[in-house]
Amino acid sequence: MTTDNRQLIMNCYRLLLLILVIFLAGCTKNDEPEPVPPHQTTPYEIEIPFGFPKNLNIPDDNPMTVEGVELGRYLFYDGRMSGRSDPDSLMSCATCHLQEKSFECGIDHPVYEGGHPHGVTGIPTPHLMLPLINLVWNHNGYLWNGFVNKDNPNPLCRNIEALTYMGIIAPHEMNSDTNAAKDLIQNTPGYPELFEKAFGTKEVNIDRMGKAISQFIRTLISTNSRFDRYMRGEVQLTPSELNGFVLFTTEEGADCFHCHGGFGNPLFTTHLFYNNGKDTIFTDSRDRYAVTGDPADKGAYKASTLRNIELTGPYMHDGRFATLDDVIDFYSHHILNSVNIDPLMHHVANGGTQLTDLEKADLKAFIQSLRDDSFLTNPAFSRPDHFPDEN
Amino acid sequence: MKLMNLLMLIVLSIPVLFMSGCNKEPNGNEPEDTGKIKFEFSHYVDGQPLDTDTLKYVNASGNHYLVTEIQYFISDVTLHAHDGSKKVIDDWKDIHYVDTDLEETWLWDVYDEIPAGLYNSISFTVGINEQKNQSLMFVDHPESLMFWPEYLGGGYHYMKLNGKWMDPEQELLPFDFHLGIGQIYDNEGHVTGFIQNYFEVTLPGSSFTINKGEVVHIPIIMNVENWFKNPHTYDHNTWGGDIMQHQDAMHLGCDNGHNVFSVGDIE
Repeated sequence: MTTDNRQLIMNCYRLLLLILVIFLAGCTKNDEPEPVPPHQTTPYEIEIPFGFPKNLNIPDDNPMTVEGVELGRYLFYDGRMSGRSDPDSLMSCATCHLQEKSFECGIDHPVYEGGHPHGVTGIPTPHLMLPLINLVWNHNGYLWNGFVNKDNPNPLCRNIEALTYMGIIAPHEMNSDTNAAKDLIQNTPGYPELFEKAFGTKEVNIDRMGKAISQFIRTLISTNSRFDRYMRGEVQLTPSELNGFVLFTTEEGADCFHCHGGFGNPLFTTHLFYNNGKDTIFTDSRDRYAVTGDPADKGAYKASTLRNIELTGPYMHDGRFATLDDVIDFYSHHILNSVNIDPLMHHVANGGTQLTDLEKADLKAFIQSLRDDSFLTNPAFSRPDHFPDEN
Repeated sequence: MKLMNLLMLIVLSIPVLFMSGCNKEPNGNEPEDTGKIKFEFSHYVDGQPLDTDTLKYVNASGNHYLVTEIQYFISDVTLHAHDGSKKVIDDWKDIHYVDTDLEETWLWDVYDEIPAGLYNSISFTVGINEQKNQSLMFVDHPESLMFWPEYLGGGYHYMKLNGKWMDPEQELLPFDFHLGIGQIYDNEGHVTGFIQNYFEVTLPGSSFTINKGEVVHIPIIMNVENWFKNPHTYDHNTWGGDIMQHQDAMHLGCDNGHNVFSVGDIE
């Protein structure tokens, strides 16, 4: 082989190498260097049981992490979120949202008489609270009228994250200011390190506080009631519960399912808003109409989930019914017609569904099968043994 | 010289290798001559766009009525070609949900590639056929909210048409004109069997031509008054507020449903 030929072969090899480089570069164009993550977090995985929605309401700017949930759980239970340290004026989310009451306060709350909550200064809340349960599946707005929703012109009022700052500043809740809350948490030993683990910085701000609490709230999932286990074939319902289930899901029965779900919608709410025939005159400035401006929405409120509903009395946005029996009686005999009543309340022609006493008992038995004791006692949702500065 | 030829061959093959590596056809064949279609859904009453929650309509029975919302499925949309062949829309999805409250459901940008050519007509199923209408196949909102209770046959509502009518005592009462699987009851009121009520409609005047690379817009119109009109005159005073457990009423509705849909100007 001559020197010229050897040179030619070498050139061929070089050219082949060049081709390979061009080929690979053309197919995997990547001019930007890989960003280096500022800190390492552990993704928090939500397990979705069979039949439950796959579509989760988790904002792109607040992904679920183990570290964020841990921090959020501390903040959810820490009374210093009120921006005050005096034992008499501490207030946290958990002051009202009790786990054993499905993160509602319940009718037998030791402070909130009759289940009607009030703020730290005694001002009553405009409406009763709604339980914090399965909200990771809610895409249709928060609060009884859906004021906090994805289409709200104010970007601060579009998701669960908003409820933290709203709770801090509302006169009928913590009646504080976000700077006081932020400063107190910032200066509490242990919290800055938790913020760094969750968000990559020791700097506390209201945005990160809201994100952490929201992450914790999104973990509050109930999928293990007796009815859930019945759906999975693990237990059998009683004859009374089964008859109640039929009543619940038939138009000629109690006709609950269009608004409150069932086998095909195990959330037991549509998260939509209905005028359910409680009144004929509508003067509440915080009904659905206040959000949409549509006159058809006067007197309409969110259909609450029926999971653990036996623990979350009193009922309706204003707590007018003390017991489940009262609610069932209302839907059976006392629905009032108005131009605003929802079309799904077609039994209004007869004043209600006209259930017999036995049918009412069966319906109640079925509704009670939606109680999820494993949710009410789940240690992952409970008050932490100690706060970050109490080691 | 042989080495020189080899070098030239390699140089000339560079662009071919580069392009084929990035844009290879899955089956190596030339793409078929196809176009795209988009269905646009709208809702009319007596020739005018639906005006919800307004008591301004009178049906064939003389009932004054209003409509609050309409929610329904159409499925198995089929394009009948001039040469006798059929194209069923099912590459990405075969069931489409329409909700008068949700604007994002009014347009169906069909994924399927539609072979270019002349089509004589369009047909589809109102609701979902028996094989496909299985409980829990939709777990997310809003489709999951259409579930049809297991005791009544399971699966999903074909349609919910909710509104109110003025009864003879001049009281405005709600009606839920809901269509789905019907039931057969024994003398004691127990369910002994089910009746599939889904039905197929062919859109009159729905011929169109689609050319290669073209997007054809096909407006599908629901003429709401026809649910209560033809061939049966449907009277809310007779059937009342709910019909899910009244097969006779659902049967009338489904019969009338054959004349409810029309097609607008295809462009």
